[in-house]
Amino acid sequence: MESFHSPLFSRRGFQPTAMNERTPVRSWLSRNPHWAYILPSVIVLVLLTVLPTVFLYYVSTTDYELGQFWNEHHRVGLENFARLFSGRDTEFWPSVRISLLFTVLATAIEFICGFGVAILLNRDFRWKSLVFACLMVPITITPSIVGQMWKLMYNAEYGVINFVVGSLFHAKVVWLGPQLAFTSTLLVDIWQWTPFLALIIYAGLRALPAEPYEAALVDGATAVQSFRYVTLPLLRPLLTLAVLFRSMDSLKLFDVPFVLTQGGPGSATELLSLHVYRLGFAQTGWVARASATAVVLLFLIVLLSQMLVRQIRREVDA
Amino acid sequence: MCSSRSKLIKRSTVGIAITLISIAAVFPLFWMLLVSLKTRVLTYDPSIWLFKPTLENYVTVFRERQLVRFMRNSGIVVIATTTLSLVLGSMAAYGFARFSFRRKEDLAFWILSLRMLPPMATVIPFFVLARFTGLLDTHLILVLAYMTFNIPFSIWMMRGFFEEIPREIEEAALVDGCSHWQVLVRVLLPLALPGLTATAIFCVIQSWNEFAFALFLTGVNARTLPTTVTFFLSVTGVIWGEMAAVGVVTALPVLVFAALVQRYMVRGLSFGAIKG
Repeated sequence: MESFHSPLFSRRGFQPTAMNERTPVRSWLSRNPHWAYILPSVIVLVLLTVLPTVFLYYVSTTDYELGQFWNEHHRVGLENFARLFSGRDTEFWPSVRISLLFTVLATAIEFICGFGVAILLNRDFRWKSLVFACLMVPITITPSIVGQMWKLMYNAEYGVINFVVGSLFHAKVVWLGPQLAFTSTLLVDIWQWTPFLALIIYAGLRALPAEPYEAALVDGATAVQSFRYVTLPLLRPLLTLAVLFRSMDSLKLFDVPFVLTQGGPGSATELLSLHVYRLGFAQTGWVARASATAVVLLFLIVLLSQMLVRQIRREVDA
Repeated sequence: MCSSRSKLIKRSTVGIAITLISIAAVFPLFWMLLVSLKTRVLTYDPSIWLFKPTLENYVTVFRERQLVRFMRNSGIVVIATTTLSLVLGSMAAYGFARFSFRRKEDLAFWILSLRMLPPMATVIPFFVLARFTGLLDTHLILVLAYMTFNIPFSIWMMRGFFEEIPREIEEAALVDGCSHWQVLVRVLLPLALPGLTATAIFCVIQSWNEFAFALFLTGVNARTLPTTVTFFLSVTGVIWGEMAAVGVVTALPVLVFAALVQRYMVRGLSFGAIKG
């Protein structure tokens, strides 16, 4: 009974006292109040991203395999990277090539088509909000389901695309066969992300000031000229942003090709992230070698993301 | 006369082009819906577009493929990660929006760059670490993994929304004796409620749609809806009706949520960089 009356259990005991106010942490926080708000996020992010990344570098210098106990691994230095770059891992360079080709083609085509759609949308017409609602579908729908939907449509025997192609041209196309699988995967990406570029460029077109166009009109510029010498320069920062966004996202693409082709047939659509998957998880379980490949992928992405971040920073500062 | 006719031709060409583009954007979804409503025999005939719809595929996937369990897993993970990310993200966003300190922008842009990490690079260390801590195939590991992209996203979105609120309002509250914390909770967050809701919905969509982490970090217990596509990867003689039904069930909530944030779409897609 005595303990209930001790200071520990009194109500005052739990309240911050004058003593607490003067602890180093408290006085530091009162001098830097922003850290009380920012630090929790920073700590969580360091634990969840920096720590795993450092660990990824470490694993990439070992010979750890799936299913081993952790203490069974050996340090092998840069052996895994040497294997990749020397071409002893015969599928690495082809996979880099496929990834880069995919990124360049997807970004370029989506950019051009997106620009076209944005110009089409940049006028007043009925049902505008319905059109925009339609364009949201490819962007937001679950990517793994996108892969599945297109697999349904691409099917050579029972797919709706071959039904249309067949009744128009009396031809049967093997969309996911060795020759066309890459193009077909690219087509899905174009379907999915052209609306994204269209929306961003449309937002940019809407925000353009009217005066430069009036000036160009007074100077007798044609529509093409005012597009080339007024629209493009004004939109350039936004367009750079959009291109960087898309190229970064298509470089790390995983879900859609995983469902659609699983990298196949053979390795016709084996993008870098699918190569990481195949090395580390699918057949072989060479987690360490997969990590080395992942480090290469990470390096490429960080390169692009730094460019992107710099561009956003310029936009925000402006 | 001639110019009004060419104008008419131009207008109708544009109209047709926009119609075709809209149809192309929704057609795959429409087709999946159609296949999901067909009987098994009909699914193999793409020439039939009009038929008596049946719900038998939906009944089958809910009865035999435990779809409710995967929906529950998805729901738990999405709600937990969104709530945690919004709490942490709003706090940090307030710190960035209303205080000035040395190297603030460097820190903010470092956080933004974390949003761009490729999942295939982070999934390997997550997998190995989760295996040795026994977190593999739990809801918790997915909640943590999704926070890697939801926290940076929330910080950037909420920072933009906070900065749009005039400072005078909170200065009045500060003069009245409110602490910074009270200003955030009682003044800023209620004022930024539309933005907070939009940010939450974007987090929900992103987390619901996530595939790579879910595929590698879960197996039986914590499996989420998008990974159920793997049921239909290796099966010979694919059950198309069921496949399409699962797709519709997975995609529908996302589309409803997306309709709610349509106004903020450009902003959300560019992490708040383009106000749109």
